[in-house]
Amino acid sequence: MKKQLLLLVLLLLAPLCNLLAQQKTIQGKVTASSDNTPLPGVNILEKGTNNGAVSDFDGNYTLEVQEGATLVFSSIGFEKKEITVNGRTTLNTAMVETTEGLDEVVVTSFGIEQEKKALGYAVQEINAEEITKTKQPNVVSALQGKVAGVQITNSGGAPGQSARIIIRGINSLDPNADNQPLFVVDGVPIDNSTTESVGTPRGLSNRAADINPNDIESMNVLKGAAATALYGVRAANGAVIITTKKGKAGQVRININSSVGFDEINQYPEFQEVYGQGFSGVYDPNSFWPNWGPSIDEIQEIDPSARFYNIWRDAFRTGVQTDNSISVSGGNETTTFYGSLGRLKHEGIIPFSDWGRISAKLNGQVKLSDKFTFSANINYTVSGGNRVPHDRFMERMVYWTPNADITDYINEDGTMRSVGTNTNPIYDARFSTYKDEVNRTIGNVRFTYSPVKWLDINYLLGTDYYSDKRTEITPGPLGIDGENALDSQGFIRETRINSRDINSNFYLTFKNTWSDKLSSTLRVGNDVFQRDYEQVSALGEDFVIPRFYDLSYTSQISNSQDKRKRRLVGFYGDLLVDYDEMVFLNLTARNDFTSTLPIGNNSFFYPSANLGFIFTQAFDMPDFFTFGKVRASIAQVGKDTDPYQIGQTYTSSEIYPLGGQVGFSRFSQFGDLQLIPEKTTSIEFGTDLRFFENRLGLDLTYYKSNSKDQIIPVPVSNAVGFSTFVTNAGEIENQGVEAILRATPIKNENFRWDITFNASYNKNEVKNIREGIDEIEVGTQYGYAGSTVSLRLIEGEAYGNIFGSSYERAGADPNSIFLNSDLPQVIDANGFPIRNGDQLVLGNVTPKWIGGLNNEFTYKGFDLSFLIDFRAGVDQYNQYDNFFSAFGIAKYTLNRNETIVFDGVLEDGSPNTQPVFLGQGVGPDGRDYGAGYYRNNYRTVSENFIHDASFIKLRNISLGYNFQEKVLEKLPFSSVRLSVAANNIILYTPWDGFDPESFSAGASGNATGLTGLGYPGVQSYYFTLNIGL
Amino acid sequence: MNLYKQLRNLLFIGCIAFIGCDDYLDINENPNNPSEAPLAGLMTNSTFESAQNTFRMASISTNYVQYIASPNAGSSSDIMDPVDYSTTWSNMYNVMTDLSDLVAQAESSGANHYQGAAQIMLAYNLALTVDAWGDIPFSEGFSFGTLTPAYDDDAALYDEILSLLDLGIQNLSQPTDFSIGQDDFIYNGDPAQWVKLGYMLKARYFNHYSKTDSYDPNAVLAALENGFESNADDAKVTYFEEEFNPWASVARSNANLILGGWISEQFVQALDGTTFGVVDPRLPTMISTTDDGDYVGTENGAGRGNAPEAGARSVLELGDYYSSDLSPVLIATYAEQKFIEAEASFETDKSRSYNAYLAGIEANMQKLGIAQQEISTYLSNEVVSMGLDAFTKDAIFKEKWVALFLNPETWVDARRHDYQYEDFTLPANINPQLNSQFIRRLVYPNSEVSRNGRNVPDVTLLDQIFWDE
Repeated sequence: MKKQLLLLVLLLLAPLCNLLAQQKTIQGKVTASSDNTPLPGVNILEKGTNNGAVSDFDGNYTLEVQEGATLVFSSIGFEKKEITVNGRTTLNTAMVETTEGLDEVVVTSFGIEQEKKALGYAVQEINAEEITKTKQPNVVSALQGKVAGVQITNSGGAPGQSARIIIRGINSLDPNADNQPLFVVDGVPIDNSTTESVGTPRGLSNRAADINPNDIESMNVLKGAAATALYGVRAANGAVIITTKKGKAGQVRININSSVGFDEINQYPEFQEVYGQGFSGVYDPNSFWPNWGPSIDEIQEIDPSARFYNIWRDAFRTGVQTDNSISVSGGNETTTFYGSLGRLKHEGIIPFSDWGRISAKLNGQVKLSDKFTFSANINYTVSGGNRVPHDRFMERMVYWTPNADITDYINEDGTMRSVGTNTNPIYDARFSTYKDEVNRTIGNVRFTYSPVKWLDINYLLGTDYYSDKRTEITPGPLGIDGENALDSQGFIRETRINSRDINSNFYLTFKNTWSDKLSSTLRVGNDVFQRDYEQVSALGEDFVIPRFYDLSYTSQISNSQDKRKRRLVGFYGDLLVDYDEMVFLNLTARNDFTSTLPIGNNSFFYPSANLGFIFTQAFDMPDFFTFGKVRASIAQVGKDTDPYQIGQTYTSSEIYPLGGQVGFSRFSQFGDLQLIPEKTTSIEFGTDLRFFENRLGLDLTYYKSNSKDQIIPVPVSNAVGFSTFVTNAGEIENQGVEAILRATPIKNENFRWDITFNASYNKNEVKNIREGIDEIEVGTQYGYAGSTVSLRLIEGEAYGNIFGSSYERAGADPNSIFLNSDLPQVIDANGFPIRNGDQLVLGNVTPKWIGGLNNEFTYKGFDLSFLIDFRAGVDQYNQYDNFFSAFGIAKYTLNRNETIVFDGVLEDGSPNTQPVFLGQGVGPDGRDYGAGYYRNNYRTVSENFIHDASFIKLRNISLGYNFQEKVLEKLPFSSVRLSVAANNIILYTPWDGFDPESFSAGASGNATGLTGLGYPGVQSYYFTLNIGL
Repeated sequence: MNLYKQLRNLLFIGCIAFIGCDDYLDINENPNNPSEAPLAGLMTNSTFESAQNTFRMASISTNYVQYIASPNAGSSSDIMDPVDYSTTWSNMYNVMTDLSDLVAQAESSGANHYQGAAQIMLAYNLALTVDAWGDIPFSEGFSFGTLTPAYDDDAALYDEILSLLDLGIQNLSQPTDFSIGQDDFIYNGDPAQWVKLGYMLKARYFNHYSKTDSYDPNAVLAALENGFESNADDAKVTYFEEEFNPWASVARSNANLILGGWISEQFVQALDGTTFGVVDPRLPTMISTTDDGDYVGTENGAGRGNAPEAGARSVLELGDYYSSDLSPVLIATYAEQKFIEAEASFETDKSRSYNAYLAGIEANMQKLGIAQQEISTYLSNEVVSMGLDAFTKDAIFKEKWVALFLNPETWVDARRHDYQYEDFTLPANINPQLNSQFIRRLVYPNSEVSRNGRNVPDVTLLDQIFWDE
């Protein structure tokens, strides 16, 4: 491969040895036609030659040309212009801005700007305004609903809680794989992992949340393998390219941004509000059972002082979010800078949950000479908060009786006030703390040296370093008689995570214009990545002094350590050929070397090719047909695995040493010694059509990608001697279509209306799984009495099938793994439906359709926009509902005192006619129904809790007003903007429960369809003021 | 042209610097986990985890044998619902995996005693697993022959258990290149005691055949000859300041109103004189009294009703024999061996049986530190020493039930005895699928159903283990 690259280099360099003929000097100034400001960076080329110049900071240029030459002026974002010199020595010209959209510039790899029309694959860019308008503190959430084929899911409504991003479906069969794209900031990859808490879920942050969205200039989602061949293995799931704000030459600008927001739960489940505490209809103010007692009226007859509370509203508070930031930018011809400070503070709806972020950023660029530029970026963030145990909080809400005030949670002596032995969730949220503090520095330096016009030498070095300090405390007893302690001993767990990424990237860019129609750019380079990660954690149990929380004062201490190092080395080449701005051909090749695969299998090569053809350039088209392009690409990308996956090891449990001895046990995971890299091959076809001067546009894409030789930690029977076996175990396929429709129905001097609609459909299939493995378990979630569900992968089926128990169906195909719910239920001789414990597919958790509709209206200083997004064809396991049925909380349990006849047939096929009582204890018919239908039957059947989790949401609505010039003249500001916005309002969902978007695994987990007892989703309202000085 | 050369050189250097340098990438050896484990480390973990497994299996079955009752009505283990014990299952297999590694490593290094002790522990853990689940994977397990190991017949696994015990005894009786030491939490490396445990367990498992045609009381009695000689031989793991006894943790949690360890009404009434008319002096060393100083149990399946969370019912408490922070977990005892002797000799030599029965009670009482005076009083009560003629197997089972408090072996006895303990009643709110019968086994864990589904037998909670049929 090396030889081929050299050959290519030689070929490209050859024509430079042109001899030059008789010359004359021409000079001039280039300006923008709109405002007559000087235009730097315009390419001026003598037509038909390689001879050219670039305008300087003041728009001036000088060029030696031949007599009678024609100059071609071009600059990204402006229409190309040709002028014949005609004997002039001075040639000034004004460039006209291109109609928007056509020559959009997007940033692809390494911070390189490319014209969108030159790309043979789909990209979609989101600008700064669109990002900040959403008011999302987490940049990932800011993409929600905006990009075709990109699914963003907020894992819950907690402050700082992670959001998950998946591009074009899940590409890995590995239940633990991070299927999320690589995040790249200013050309350097950063860490976007989510390290969830040990034990009960606490909703931690994905690390991209450390970025202040106010610092972002644009975000660009690279979807296919073609778009990411240059980033190599780490971008196998796509890439999110973030470009941060830079200073611009000219006056110093100061921007102040201040906003305040309020959260509330956006949807509640339907509760019954009739029955109170007790069991079997018998009132008992100390009962464990919150809602199986008699009705409120009956309870008040027994105890007139009994009160009823709406605990589901009392337990939560209004969340408050404040976000303040200031930025200063400016510069001159040679130096520009941008600096900012930001502070975000967010208090969540569950009491005592909060998260905050303080960020500082400085960016500077220096042009040392015409040939040498240098830039540096540094971003420092402190983020973290108190992560309440939301899953436990919500579970304890389930057990809490409506007869007791949940907010009255603490006694004067500091012990918990509770009912019976139930833990008060608010007391737990206050004292069982989990605080994290991340100190993070992301920085990079970039050198660009252009010794000659056709060559750029770039070196980019970046680091992402953070320490994540976590302290979890659960208090033990205070030592007061009769107290109800949160834990019998209490514990403190100190966790320290240190992670350092270093990226080094050296590349050369050769540009050549072969003729006025043919030009090429070749890039070759090398990059090196290293990650050092270490986690140390110490657990101290049994506090010597209650409420004095220090490891040194605990009587049992244990600790653990985890160290990881990973290295990747890549060599790549990228050739782009442009023929007459009509045909664009892009070829790439890359070879990666990784430390995580066995030596011998750790080098892998992969190529890509893509082609764009602008047919409106080639053929005569009707006037209304402004622009038309078709594109095709085929690409491959390899993928390695995590460090230390190979072979068998032993481990020592945290409890040792005991009595001076350290015990060892075989590690539960075994890695295949012959592991080879995964390979994803994808093809993509698409078209980009624009009509009526870009007033109407349509972008369609079809893609198909196959990932083979997937490296999967397959859960295996414990009897094998391991619980997971890491091996190349299968193939998964994703195919789908994406459509983007853009329109500007109204456009005049004062009023403008823009619509963007995107939708995508993804179909996923597990093509094969290694022999000997029947299925791969992705995740399970608890359900009462045999209603636990699991996500499992089976050959020939889609990702995300959810398995569980169901009702027996008459005439069901015994060989089918799918539940046929159209068939009649089989009713037992006892009159109740028969439960079928066989694990059948009850639904699928991967949305078939996702999309969004954005509308923007501007009228003079006002702008209004709203984004509606949707997902459809998705089922989830509603764990809340399982608990709500078991505890008589769900509204449908109101029929608990009814006698009904279940619809269905008996085993002999005859219709069921037997009336049965749904309640507890002895029914009106004298029969003892024990714990009753909901506990004995309903809660035990998973089928009852698999629900349609589709939704249509008003993701964001925002109304803003920009002060007009007349007013600003009287103010000391250059701009003022006021805006109000609202987020995440559910417009429609068949789901009975809290926001169906929440799920318990966190962004790094793949079991999205298992809602758990997640932090309820919230809708938020924001008021924002922006001032420019 | 010079420029090309420079460029070419640069590229070359770049390539060679990295491609030629496998060392740079050769960093994948796991710094967190060693690739080999010392014999002593495996021994420590296996002895400790064998005790933990004893607790884990007991905590599944203590409700079934009515030692413990849930303070909440309708709790699933109390009402014998099918419960997923995936975690306990994996704990059992983890230890068996480590033990099979220990056997192999010991064999290759000539550590005969390690090998023998490992074989005995393997037999013990295997039997615990079979007694709960019946057919389980074993012969195709612990290696990479298959990822979906077949389920072995439970009766065949009993042959395996007995053969492991024989091999263990044999290896422990040979000289060894490496002696076991303090790393052995059970016997501190005493091979003679391990041999006795091997025989004691042989007797126990031979005795499990009591309901079947293959029952051979003489084989039981023959094994006993070389078994335990006194309480000093008991196999147990004593817990640590750094790691408290698991029953003590239950008691501590309960004291802090994280409820658990409530004593069943059947157990309290059997010992407080209600059922049998004799008060058992062990009661104060086993369970708590109420605030009023009485012993009051909780009805299985019914929950605590109107009783408050603390002070009104008997529970496990810190400081008692079985539930102190540093209490041992008992794996096999001399007292149990005496009851096995009583049962095996009952048909052939009733007086031997009767004496063994009384000796079993006495051994357990001594272990619990009961004053000899009280022991004598109890033993002389005619309900206990009813005389040879009135002596029945029921009496053996009853006293063994008391002496094996919180031990998983009792569930085997309960099933062999068809739960025919005096005054045993089905729990309230019993799982309707049981058709008013006691539970006979566990259902297979969800982890096996999803990972090894094709091999998992289809069973109900009423299907019996082979020795129970």
